[in-house]
Amino acid sequence: MAVSWLRKLAARGPARVFLAQGEHSEGVREYLALSPAVQLVDSPRHASVLLVAGEVPIGWRDDLRRVHDQLPAPFASVWYQSDPFDELISAPRVDTLEALPETLLATHRDLVLQRRGSSPRLLPDVPPNPWQGLGDDGHGGEGMMGGNPYGRPMAMNMQDDRRDGLTLDTLTFRLGPFHPGLPPGMQAETSLQGDLIQTWETQKRPFPESVDLPFHAARERPVSIAELERARARHHLHRLHLGLHLAGWPGLANQVLRLASDLAGQPNIAGLRRQLIRGGFFRLAQPMPGHGRLDDETVHQVGGWMARAAGVGEDARSQDASYRRLGFTPICQAEGDTASRWRQLLDETQQSIDLAHQAERLDLATANTELIETPRGPWGEDAPDDASQILEEVLPGLEWGEAMATLASLELAALETVPGEGALANQERRA
Amino acid sequence: MSLLALILVLILSLGAGLLLQALPRREHALPTYPQRAPFLGGGEPDTHAWSRYHVRYYPMALLLIAFEMEMMFMYPWAVVFVEKGAMAVMEMGMFLAILSVGIVYAWREGVFRWQ
Amino acid sequence: MIVSELILPLFMIFLTLGLGIYAAAVLDRLLAARQRIPVADSAWRSPLSNAAWLLLQQTNTTEAPDTPAWQLAPALYLSLAAMGLSLVPWSPTLIATDLATGLVLWGSFEALATVVIFLQGWAANAHLALIGAYRYVALGLSYLLISMFVLIGVALPAESLRFIDVVEAQAPLWHVIGQPLGLPLFLVVGLGLTFWGPLNLADSSDLSGGTSSEISGPLRLVWQMARMAMLVAFSAVAATAFLGGWLGPWLPGPVWVLLKTLGVLALLLWLGRSMPRVAPERCVTLMWVVLLPLAFVDLIWAGTLALLMA
Repeated sequence: MAVSWLRKLAARGPARVFLAQGEHSEGVREYLALSPAVQLVDSPRHASVLLVAGEVPIGWRDDLRRVHDQLPAPFASVWYQSDPFDELISAPRVDTLEALPETLLATHRDLVLQRRGSSPRLLPDVPPNPWQGLGDDGHGGEGMMGGNPYGRPMAMNMQDDRRDGLTLDTLTFRLGPFHPGLPPGMQAETSLQGDLIQTWETQKRPFPESVDLPFHAARERPVSIAELERARARHHLHRLHLGLHLAGWPGLANQVLRLASDLAGQPNIAGLRRQLIRGGFFRLAQPMPGHGRLDDETVHQVGGWMARAAGVGEDARSQDASYRRLGFTPICQAEGDTASRWRQLLDETQQSIDLAHQAERLDLATANTELIETPRGPWGEDAPDDASQILEEVLPGLEWGEAMATLASLELAALETVPGEGALANQERRA
Repeated sequence: MSLLALILVLILSLGAGLLLQALPRREHALPTYPQRAPFLGGGEPDTHAWSRYHVRYYPMALLLIAFEMEMMFMYPWAVVFVEKGAMAVMEMGMFLAILSVGIVYAWREGVFRWQ
Repeated sequence: MIVSELILPLFMIFLTLGLGIYAAAVLDRLLAARQRIPVADSAWRSPLSNAAWLLLQQTNTTEAPDTPAWQLAPALYLSLAAMGLSLVPWSPTLIATDLATGLVLWGSFEALATVVIFLQGWAANAHLALIGAYRYVALGLSYLLISMFVLIGVALPAESLRFIDVVEAQAPLWHVIGQPLGLPLFLVVGLGLTFWGPLNLADSSDLSGGTSSEISGPLRLVWQMARMAMLVAFSAVAATAFLGGWLGPWLPGPVWVLLKTLGVLALLLWLGRSMPRVAPERCVTLMWVVLLPLAFVDLIWAGTLALLMA
């Protein structure tokens, strides 16, 4: 009876969820972060439910299996707008965002109360490499030296360092594609010496990024500028949420999300900026000045607000007669480094909200459907393309925390030109 | 009696910490190899993590040793401070002044940056 | 004699530790609720339901961890907190470990905490945990000196390194007023010692949890409890060194210590939630170039004041 009392107590808590984002899963993280039934965690070791959001393409499924197997028992998976693997046929599938928190919580409770068995392990229980060599443990040498102790070689590959030239061991690994700090779907092979990134090579490109429906509509017909600009502000605030989460400031990260969910009111961006400055976000939490800077060449590959943060005053909105009527001029920063991109994001959010207010009074619609400015960059003849290869230039030389902050401050996935299911679902929910 | 109490506190708290980990352990099977791989968001490492790690702040660690030696003198100094009066202030003031010059020099040399 | 010198103080320590861990967790949830972070469970029950869930979860392991060190680290961190608490006098006579070198011993616990936290990250033999471990050492080496200078500042007027004397020296004026730089600097040390909030370099979100990224189940529960216990122990030491310990009107001494501890604890938890994490490189520079000279100033100020008042 003692155990069942413990289980009942444990079932009172929220569902601890590790989110693996597939294609068209925008908005899921932000929606769940505001849900009291769910606690999103950064490591699968801290979760009891793995949430797979969106379709996971064939090439990404082995990575997902690895993450799936890393949850400690008892655990289960929930699939959002995606079919469970054949081996996980009993795992619940959910198709609406509203039903998600409830399903996650119910799954967690069922696990704790033993009404549902733990999910089976998908991968065979064998070491990553065969043990080689001699000796009792079959790897030759003593302790962990020689061969492949416990299925993995030791890092004994002295290489020169980027900064001080000391020759010490390099740790090489693949990061992602389901790491919460990376854009969904992106996998990179990186080498570290200490906590400094030596090389970074993108191996899997991030899934194309969906923007809200008003941007798709704006390519076809004039749409309300107020609606468009609020969608842009929301998009930017969601990015700031990620940056604040990585910077270890959950309270403000949540406040940003609440701002983003209520943009029709009077969102206090100036107050947000004050809090960021007072808390030392720019001066103490962000990378050193100049770190994460995009050079002239990479700036043009990314475009959009990230280019404006580096002083490129190009904005497709200045070619739109309606925006000109509102007195629109692009905002720019000079530095182009990580901290200045956050400043740019805040400035543009404020600008978008101001534009939305003005446009609402005048009831203005966009005039130019040939070329529009999406949050990802200008969309004219061509949509913004994947730019994740610039990371190979930008990230090496940065300390790990700086690299993660820099990654969060960049939007590199290609733009999805067909509105995905995620965008449709988000639109329906808001309407 | 004081030391006995300290040792009792150590034993009791250490025991509690270990017991709390050990008691529920037997319920679950040993994790499988894929579960035991380090979490890297779905990616895999080439090697074990243990390595000759590049500690980026090693000059700062050396600077600390210089200061830690100085701390040893400071404990007895603190006890006799009021008794010795102004002389003790002067002595320690000079000592701290010299060390401050050391910090400024170290700062200028970039000791506090990641090497 | 055994009752008054051993059993009663030990009872106080473990009572404070048990209630303190719970109180710290509840306070933190209440602060989270004030920031409108959505919480399903009531703040009073959530620490318990979290503990129950972790007790039922499988303990994770890695391919080739240093298992003894991995299990020892959280328990040792908990012990350091408990031993720190045993140095705190509840009244002029009620104290578990009354040493003439109490302040020095507390300093050694701070140094050992760095070792233990490093061990926790290192023992996992996992990449992100290892980075967290080494990153924490940079912080640990930086706050150590600040802590020592600030604590020597409170030893000067007492002419002693004994915690009881430090409290008694505060009868005319609490150090929080007499040495205005002392408590703020010591709170920074506290945030570092418990890798809390802005100084959470060990368990940070950019490392997917850093030193705790690979742990689950009971081991993670003990690690979380030990961290809360250290917050409590540190608060008690800060209340003793700067807020006059048991001194205060109307209420009995131990109650004053508890109230002051709770106050410092709430302040620490609030600080942890109102700032982002400081980048490691900037953290080291900040500690050595800004806060350490401020600790010098604090010491000189404390010394001058001690001479004037003596």
